[in-house]
Amino acid sequence: MTATSLAVPSATALGRLDELLGRRVSMRALALLRIMAGPIALAHLWPFVADARAGVIYRDAFYEPYAAWYPELPRPLYVGLLALGVVAAVAMSLGLLTRVATATTFGVVTYNLFLSTTHFHSNRAYLVIVLAALAVAPCGRELSVDAWLRARRGWPALDPRSPAWPLWLLRFEAAAVYGASGLSKLVDGDWFGGTVTWHRMVQVRDQLEASPLPGWAVSLLAERSFHTYAAKVIVLTELFIAVGLWWQGTRYAAVWVAIAFHLAIQLTASVQIFSFLGIAALVIWAVPSTRDRVVGFDPADTGQRRLAEAVAALDWLARFRLVEGGRGSPLTLTDRDGTVSTGRAARVRVLSRLPLTAWFALPVLLLPVMRPVPARTG
Amino acid sequence: MTTRPEWAGVACHGLGVDSRARVIGRRVAVVLVVVAQLALVARGYRSDHKEFGFQMFPESSTWSAEVVRVTADGTRVPVSEPWFGYRWDELVTSRGLAHPSARHHADAGLDNQVAFLAAALDYVAGHTPRDRETRYLEATVTTWHNTDGPEVTVLRSRERRAAADGGPA
Repeated sequence: MTATSLAVPSATALGRLDELLGRRVSMRALALLRIMAGPIALAHLWPFVADARAGVIYRDAFYEPYAAWYPELPRPLYVGLLALGVVAAVAMSLGLLTRVATATTFGVVTYNLFLSTTHFHSNRAYLVIVLAALAVAPCGRELSVDAWLRARRGWPALDPRSPAWPLWLLRFEAAAVYGASGLSKLVDGDWFGGTVTWHRMVQVRDQLEASPLPGWAVSLLAERSFHTYAAKVIVLTELFIAVGLWWQGTRYAAVWVAIAFHLAIQLTASVQIFSFLGIAALVIWAVPSTRDRVVGFDPADTGQRRLAEAVAALDWLARFRLVEGGRGSPLTLTDRDGTVSTGRAARVRVLSRLPLTAWFALPVLLLPVMRPVPARTG
Repeated sequence: MTTRPEWAGVACHGLGVDSRARVIGRRVAVVLVVVAQLALVARGYRSDHKEFGFQMFPESSTWSAEVVRVTADGTRVPVSEPWFGYRWDELVTSRGLAHPSARHHADAGLDNQVAFLAAALDYVAGHTPRDRETRYLEATVTTWHNTDGPEVTVLRSRERRAAADGGPA
């Protein structure tokens, strides 16, 4: 076996690519995504399970196999496979026999998707991609029953870092979902010009009028000129998410916009699991390193102690180290680049880095008073 | 002497150092996935079902269809009427095809919708063995691409042997 050193930065493009793919990074984001992917996979499988419980499976009505050679199971086995998928999705989420459970969930969902062209939807394709990435990445070494059992038996914890390539690939795929969707609308004159969205609103106007929306909003949504601009905003939003997620300077804005985008879609369209999966998968854009930000707090200060407790409970991406400061010291956040925030700015910055509170706190960071102090040099 | 960082000798899954095969394997896997995904996105512009092409909510187009069974003597019987114990809306339940005569939104585009309807005609033709009179099924499909005017297309299922031979379909 030839050892390949990754210590010295390579001069060639291929060497740099290998370095990037093999770089050992934290799998924390994928561990968190694994937990969220379990209920999403369950939600996806549930209609098939509910039908099966009622004695109906896909081939009892119109279906269209992709290929004649694709294996179709006898009815009891197919129903059993769905049940196995449910069990595997729960085990995957819990992190119990994680590798096997994740691969099984991926296998069941993928097999079921390709049984018929009628099963295919883009959100299901995205689920298959996410499950594939989780199946090849060792994402059960933390936030899992497996890790808890190891600790309970006194065995050493496994290295939660792993070569980064599954994470990079999943990032590419996630960006491709938004990019492909935005591009297809950009090159379609009817879409970019607003005809498609306007026409759709006209078609469902009676539903809009029956909804809790105020009359002026219904009129606005049915107004042709409104869609001339709205369609462009939608298309550019998708493209901004696809591109903006890649750069540090735009990443938080892209994540914020993506959440708003998915919430809007969830409220206005029937998209199965797409919104939940789209929002859950945003965690993969967190920098894959852990405990590299330090929160200094005064435990005697009630407000600071509560924030520390919130961090301990909600820091699912393991971004912070909590350090007790001296009595009377202000709340301090030292970022990974050495910049320091104190007091309210530190509080908002901390909340902007927690998955559950980020969407609310991120806009506040735009205020000039929230700017951190740059790192000291020399 | 080559120095390696602490972690370089403990490759993933505890299988030892990163072998050349593993490095090349990663490279190949990543390139394959990226190229395949880009190819599928490009393919989405000309395929009916756009698998992994991620063209979501592509059109506001609508469609409706009059689907009939054409018997051996040329009689055209709407599938809205049950036949030989079969009902169209029990045979075809998904993708908005259960009630084709009503005007529907083609939520994944017209090409997608018409392809599904064509496949459904073949499915029904091949899954109604008690029917000994139908030669084929035919759908007269009216489509409205976004705000464009209507276009009419006629789809026909494969010919059924049942009516021609008097045997099972």
